[in-house]
Amino acid sequence: MSKRYFILGAVLIIVAFGLVLLPDSVNKDQVPPEKLLKEIMSQSRYISPDLVASRMIDEDPSIFLVDVRSAEEYSTYSLPGALNIPLENLLDNEWKPYLEQTGVDVVLISNDNLYAEQAWVLCTRSGYKNIYVLKGGLNQWFADIMQPQMPAPTEPAEAFDLYTFRKGASKYFGGGSDDQMVTSNKSESLPVIQRTKKSAAAGGC
Amino acid sequence: MGPLIPLHIIPETWNHVIAVLLGMAFGFIMESSGFSSSRKIVGLFYGYDFTVLRVFFTATVVTAIGLYYFSYMGWIDMSFVYIHPTYLTAAIVGGLIMGLGFVSGGYCPGTSLIGAAIGRIDGIVFTTGLMIGIFLFSEAFPVLEGIYEGTGMFDGDFLGYITITEYFNISPHLFIFGFTVVAVAAFYFTNLIRKRVKPVNY
Repeated sequence: MSKRYFILGAVLIIVAFGLVLLPDSVNKDQVPPEKLLKEIMSQSRYISPDLVASRMIDEDPSIFLVDVRSAEEYSTYSLPGALNIPLENLLDNEWKPYLEQTGVDVVLISNDNLYAEQAWVLCTRSGYKNIYVLKGGLNQWFADIMQPQMPAPTEPAEAFDLYTFRKGASKYFGGGSDDQMVTSNKSESLPVIQRTKKSAAAGGC
Repeated sequence: MGPLIPLHIIPETWNHVIAVLLGMAFGFIMESSGFSSSRKIVGLFYGYDFTVLRVFFTATVVTAIGLYYFSYMGWIDMSFVYIHPTYLTAAIVGGLIMGLGFVSGGYCPGTSLIGAAIGRIDGIVFTTGLMIGIFLFSEAFPVLEGIYEGTGMFDGDFLGYITITEYFNISPHLFIFGFTVVAVAAFYFTNLIRKRVKPVNY
């Protein structure tokens, strides 16, 4: 056998061994900086606790809650139906089908805005769509929904309507007063909308 | 960025044009590798010519290595690459029929067209038989439907769009490396065999 074949065979094996040494592939697709900046400046990523509450009460299937706090915090308290994806694991492939979709609105939840916003930036840079941040996080959720404050008598009627809604929502979510607080760590899994496989042309020998 | 057609970087309408161009290139390479000769092809089965093994092993290894480097560079999204669905019984039965036809006729469907295209009589006969086979299969389809679609008594045949690495849960990179080593070893040992057997003139 000529020397050429030995060289070619060696090249094939070396190149294939290079594959074994490769680290797990990293997602290099990113949103261009100008677009990202524009989206960061825009306030449209925020969704208020009132809106989230009303959509949850209506059992809107197009809302999907993602709790980005640690697993311990999640097991202590979270919103009903929320899925726990700790911030450091957010970009794992395991969670990709939940986040990279176009069918539902994903609402990121943390104690306040901070972690949820970091998660939002990660998701947006990865090019995921329909990602929202619960404005004020769980702290705001407690202040608005679980323990709503009665508006002052001089406030407009809308404030009282909102208060009535919040009182109802508070009952629905088991709030009211501190000693009656019901924690829920039940995590229901919502239907996952996965991308359908587009088929290419089949081939053969 | 890839694959180009499923992600609509190249419009769907170009699909068939590209298929024809690729088909011509495929036929050209096959013919220049000597695949228009049925004796050369069945040489693999009788053990006097291993060109088929070399060409297809090389093609597979180069493609696999290339695809996974492309995937690492982010040039191709492997989740969009077509994976042929697995119907177990259908694959086994079809493989046996195909193998029988392959070894008795000396061609596989693609190479028979190449043989026919350059005017070989056995190629033309094989291609005619191929067309008759397609016709008979189409006519008998209602009878064969269960085995073909994994329904009825063949329920559970459909294993999905699965690959070996997913089924056995091993790293594709490691698998490709092992496959390459096996391929190069096969090149070496078949060459030893080829030297020992009596050369066949064709």
